[in-house]
This record gives sequence, structure tokens and C-alpha cells, in this order.
Amino acid sequence: MSQDCDCGDAQDQIYQYLDAELDEATATSVRSHLDDCSGCFDSFDFHRRLKTVIKAHLSEEMPDSLSEKVRALIHEETSDVRPTSG
Amino acid sequence: MADQANFERDALQYSRQLYSAAMRMARNPADAEDLVQETYLKAYRAYDSFEEGTNLKAWLYRILTNTYINKYRKDSRRPTETDLGDVEDLYLYRRLGSQDTAEASRTTEDRVLDGLVESDVKAAVEDLPENFRMPVLLADLEGFSYKEIAEILDIPIGTVMSRLHRGRKAMQKRLWEFASQRGLLPDDAEKP
Repeated sequence: MSQDCDCGDAQDQIYQYLDAELDEATATSVRSHLDDCSGCFDSFDFHRRLKTVIKAHLSEEMPDSLSEKVRALIHEETSDVRPTSG
Repeated sequence: MADQANFERDALQYSRQLYSAAMRMARNPADAEDLVQETYLKAYRAYDSFEEGTNLKAWLYRILTNTYINKYRKDSRRPTETDLGDVEDLYLYRRLGSQDTAEASRTTEDRVLDGLVESDVKAAVEDLPENFRMPVLLADLEGFSYKEIAEILDIPIGTVMSRLHRGRKAMQKRLWEFASQRGLLPDDAEKP
């Protein structure tokens, strides 16, 4: 990691950066740090890839029948003239 | 005010995403389906009070989360707030990066990222205590902003940030253990 920049700050901000939660000025200074510092760049790149892997593995295929069940439930509710409970 | 007649058109498009989140909350398909159905029913009944043009997706997640908490917290008798042990920052990366050369570290990182399977990642999230699992799910699965997560979970944004931070570290520790079990770590690497 390069000496003339603050790697500690950059490392602390990895997730806020990847979550797009930094203000523009801070994000710009992080980006310019990554251009100069291969160590931090590698760490950011790893966490970006980890986030992608996690998101991909957490998704779930919804059973087709569920959409129909939800629609039916809403239609039933729409046609139901009695007061509902719960 | 939103019109109930538009509910199907506007709200049903989120059902696939809601189901993924419901699966990670309830941990089994039958309960996840129940959760999604109950969420939509509640949302439909309350749709009159939904202010059109505001964040419908976040509102649905708020109902989903509250439905889950009300339905399952009663049964589980688990404390509502659980704490995690102390885990080092950037846990996984620091361990993978402890090889002799940058190139060796890079190879291990690639092997772990490619070698972790779906069940590992799902288990790592599902093992998190509820108060950490929710923010992690909302951020990493759904990509909600910290502000949206704060609104969905009704907690301050600072709490969102600290739980995300700690939840992700704990998750990385579990992933490290799975990577070790799957033989993805080099022989000389520090083991869990």
C-alpha cells in the first residue's frame, strides 16, 4: 500500500463505498486512492466480488403457483363483502 | 392515496424478490409462501393508506419484516436482540490475504469466491441472529440504502450501519469455516 495516502480510511470505507453510501466528494477521493494503491484496490475488488457472489447465492426461485395464490387471495378479498377480521 | 384497483399491477412485480427474502427469514418454503401471501394480503388491505409515489418496494418489505417478526418471534422465545461475538474487521480477506506472495493470496481468493456454494452462503446468512440477519439481507440481497433499511426496520441509521458491519463480519467468519471444510484453503493457511 502506498505511503502518501490513508489506507486505513479507505479500508474503513469499503462497504460504504460498495453500498454507494458515500457522498460524492468522499467517493471521489476513495476512487483516486484506489488508482494509486494496488493493495487497497485488491481489497476493494475482493469485497465487490464477495458481495456479488453473496447476492447471487441468496436468490431463490419462486414457485410459479405462488403468484397465482396471491392473485386469488386478493380477488377473494375484493369480492368479500363481509367485514374482515385479522 | 393509492387505489386498490392498481394494487396487482403495482405490487405483484416484487413477489419474486419478497419470496427470496422470506425464504432467508423463515428458512423453509412452506413458511416463506405463507409469509409472502400474508404480506400481500395485509398490504392490499392497507393500500388505501399507501401514499402513491412513495417507496412501494420498501413499504412491502416493511410489512414482510413485521409479519415475520410477529409471527415467528412469539414461537421461538428467542431474545429479540442477540449480540455477536467480536470478529476482526474484513475477516475473510485478511485471512485469505495472509499468503506469502500477493499472487498466492489472489489465487486463494479466487478459489474461495468460486468454490463457495449456494448452501454455504445461505447458511452463513441464516445463522446470523435475527437483528443482524435482517439488515444484511436487505442490503446484500435487495440492495436497499441504509436510509431505506432504517425505515423498513424502524431503527436509527447508525444502528443499521453498526449491525450491517458486524453482521457481515460474522458472516465472513462462517464463510471462512465453510471454505476450510471444502478444502478451498491452502495447506499452510491459518484454519478456523
